[in-house]
Amino acid sequence: MRQTQVAHRSGLRDEQQRLYAPCRARCPVHIDVPGYLAAIGEGRFTDALEIVLERCPLPSVCGRVCLHPCEDGCRRCLLDDPIAIAQLKRAAADFGVYPRPEHPRLRPEKIAIVGSGPTGLTAAHDLANRGFQVTLYEEKPLLGGTMRYGIPNYRLPDYALDRDIDYILSAGIAVNTGIRVGRDVMLDELAASHRAVVITAGLQGSRALPIPGVDSPRVLTALPFLEASSRGEDVDLGNRVVVVGGGNVAMDVARTARRQGASDVHVVCLESSDEIPASPQEIHDADIEGITLHYSWGPRSISHEAGTCALNTVRCTSVFNAEKRFAPSFDESVAECFEADTIIFAIGQSADVGDLGIALTSRGAPQIDPLTLKTSIGNVYAAGDVVSGPTKIIDAIAAGHQVAATAYRDITCDTEPLRLLNEEIDTLGEVPDTMANKLETRRRIQMEHLEFFDAVKTFDEIEGGYTEYEAAREAQRCLSCTTGARLTREKCSLCLTCIRVCPHGAPILSTDGYVYFDAAACNACGACQSQCPSQAIVLEGHSEQEMSRRVERQLWAAEMDTALMFACSSTPIVPNLGGTPPRIITVTCLLRVSERTVLEALQNGATRVVFAGCVESTCRFLHARELVRQRSGHIEVLLSRIGMTNAFDFVEHKADDLDWHLR
Amino acid sequence: MIVVRQKPVDEICAFVTRHRRVLLVGCNTCAAVALAGGEKEVDLMAELLRLATSRKASFVEFSGTVLTRQCEPEFLEQLDSEGYDAILSMACGAGVALLASSVDVPVYPALDTLFIGAAQGLASWEAECSACGQCVLGRTAGICPITRCAKGILNGPCGGMSDGRCELGDRDCAWVLIFQRLEKFGRSEEFLEIAEPKDHSLRTRLVTWDAHEDGIR
Ligand SMILES: Cc1cc2nc3c(=O)[nH]c(=O)nc-3n(C[C@H](O)[C@H](O)[C@H](O)COP(=O)(O)OP(=O)(O)OC[C@H]3O[C@@H](n4cnc5c(N)ncnc54)[C@H](O)[C@@H]3O)c2cc1C
Ligand code: SF4
Ligand code: SF4
Ligand code: SF4
Repeated sequence: MRQTQVAHRSGLRDEQQRLYAPCRARCPVHIDVPGYLAAIGEGRFTDALEIVLERCPLPSVCGRVCLHPCEDGCRRCLLDDPIAIAQLKRAAADFGVYPRPEHPRLRPEKIAIVGSGPTGLTAAHDLANRGFQVTLYEEKPLLGGTMRYGIPNYRLPDYALDRDIDYILSAGIAVNTGIRVGRDVMLDELAASHRAVVITAGLQGSRALPIPGVDSPRVLTALPFLEASSRGEDVDLGNRVVVVGGGNVAMDVARTARRQGASDVHVVCLESSDEIPASPQEIHDADIEGITLHYSWGPRSISHEAGTCALNTVRCTSVFNAEKRFAPSFDESVAECFEADTIIFAIGQSADVGDLGIALTSRGAPQIDPLTLKTSIGNVYAAGDVVSGPTKIIDAIAAGHQVAATAYRDITCDTEPLRLLNEEIDTLGEVPDTMANKLETRRRIQMEHLEFFDAVKTFDEIEGGYTEYEAAREAQRCLSCTTGARLTREKCSLCLTCIRVCPHGAPILSTDGYVYFDAAACNACGACQSQCPSQAIVLEGHSEQEMSRRVERQLWAAEMDTALMFACSSTPIVPNLGGTPPRIITVTCLLRVSERTVLEALQNGATRVVFAGCVESTCRFLHARELVRQRSGHIEVLLSRIGMTNAFDFVEHKADDLDWHLR
Repeated sequence: MIVVRQKPVDEICAFVTRHRRVLLVGCNTCAAVALAGGEKEVDLMAELLRLATSRKASFVEFSGTVLTRQCEPEFLEQLDSEGYDAILSMACGAGVALLASSVDVPVYPALDTLFIGAAQGLASWEAECSACGQCVLGRTAGICPITRCAKGILNGPCGGMSDGRCELGDRDCAWVLIFQRLEKFGRSEEFLEIAEPKDHSLRTRLVTWDAHEDGIR
């Protein structure tokens, strides 16, 4: 409102500031998931990408291979399927434009980062963006760590990784590849010449079991094999390969072996099918590619015979002891022998930092003070998998933020970034039945992918990514948890309109005479916000001011006879009006376009405003349809009163079968 | 509450086009609740007037603000109308009147004040009371004949009622409704009592009321 607000007290504006959607709460870096899904839902991919980048500098990577702890918490899980939160991040990175760096004022302090996996890249990104002079030291010829040399190309191709790395480096980060700290340059030299050094060396050691017969060229370990494959080398494995291990790495090794030409690949693991640590998705994909899993076998020895070998195993009866510690027991009387041309061990990775000259734990990891993240050398920090043991990329990114914020605090005494990272958060419970009953089932949209018989022939990326339309449709399944209606109590006139229009009973009239909003029952449809006479309700990510800006941008330098169309984002096909194509603003729901916005557009040069409504089969908020019709009628009446009868139109598709290309 | 409705915009335009800077003042009590004079409607009206006046090539500036209640002097004191040469009040008649008495520029009404009414649900109200000064609801089972009966008679129904409908054809007969409700509560006897005429002069005499003078406070 262009005005001096005289009558309303300010004060208690925001009651739900740190209430996060469950997906966001579960994400180790708390990406604003509902925020970027809403942007994708409106086809604003660059906005979505920027939202992701606020917390995660590797959206293209995470959009492909993040193990998405967020999705397990998605409130749609119990309705149908969780939202494809991770894959939609890929859509943001595929279709959005990466922002240009802001180059803050350069500070005098130099910081060295050892290792360029997700931890090191994130720390470098954060510190460079705070003005430090950052140099990355990487032993390998290219940056990326395990993302480049571990994760196979069919899941994460180099171009997808490079896109994120280019963005990170654009902040102005110096790169020294092919340099191993501890060999080519000494850590104490770095520590002396830099204000801080951060070790993010990851887990580069790959073990085999100390059993008879392992020392043989026919026996490999996971990481060197995966690295060779990543570099595009042909590894001669023979036909029959046995992979030892039950984690995701073992699945990657087995599937990579298939692509290296082995036609008969077996995975032998200690765990039973209930205990196997690999994710169900990876196991499923391995199964589809014709890989056979053998559960509950413990390797005892490897025998060799004329170019082939055999893994001799006995039955593993249990993996963990009563205290849930790893302590396998065996029944030596039940034995099995797996013949193979090559045996590959994928039984875990270990830290390889013995040459750095810092104090190590018994596991060979850097010893750090958990509060300061410092190693035995005062200005040397360590973080990521090298400290924590094997985790996931997104955990490594969180560790990168943490160590960057810690070093920043130590250098500048500014505790704010660290405080923000570690703030307490609250989240929502399940979708209440009253709401669940009114929501339609909408299954997750499946991505195009290579069929397995083609997939196993090459290292080509299996998943094809969503199209823009599919991405928007999938994002629109989101319930926008915690980003819905928020009340500014002192503006509320207690008209109770919100209570009357909300289909889910989210606004509640309490016995104290005030209206409260139950965030757990709100899916941010915007019905209440659109009707509140006191403008006391706001929706996150939506405001009249923002809408005015979007209108202004569209109408900037508008020619004569420019129509402005507000298209519902669920509209499968934008109607053809004939004549000059209209300028189009896509909105989550037409209810977000107020009468005032329409008039303002006409005032700012649009000759005509058109509402393009969705069809019932794609509509996200069925109860809003009537309200949109009423609003359109109201606008028509207002305009006819001032002699502008033809300045507004509401086009609704009649046909309901326009969503065919998704089925 | 007081139920209000916006005047047609052409009528409002006729008031304001004579001025250069017009302040729209909303009311966040009844007028807001009646969905006619809250902040949203103030914003919308301002935009509508901008569009309407600029199409007629007259250049009037419109700004808006909202008071908690326009019918209280203390709230009006919060109004900053400096620099405006007219005010468009988006409140009920009481608000317009008090505002008009407290500023030196013309004040115009944007709303028509309809009645004292009750909400029927979303954006719908029913007249319930005519402020007659002598409430009869006690003997009419809570249905006001002054308001709901077209003739406002105190002993009904009249001869125009047929099949429970008023002869105007737009409503149920209030007296039939009164009878049905009295009957429901076993009070149909009371229907036969003849009501004495009311003191209609109260409506003309009651232009002010001071509780102290009455010794009530
Ligand atoms: C095969 C495999 C598949 C995986 N798949 C997934 C997945 O799908 N999703 C997921 O979320 N997580 C996955 N992970 C886990 C994930 O990759 C790791 O958690 C993450 O990469 C750890 O990041 P980091 O930065 O700590 O270490 P790394 O990524 O390992 O990076 C460390 C870097 O430091 C360099 N370095 C080490 N020592 C020195 C030195 N002395 N001098 C210079 N440079 C040095 C290394 O060369 C390396 O580039 C997978 C892991 C593996 C092994
Ligand atoms: S429905 Fe949307 S906001 Fe809610 S948990 Fe799922 S992804 Fe997050
Ligand atoms: S619609 Fe707005 S003014 Fe009315 S009760 Fe709800 S929040 Fe308050
Ligand atoms: S009407 Fe819609 S936005 Fe408002 S509280 Fe209900 S679900 Fe949330």
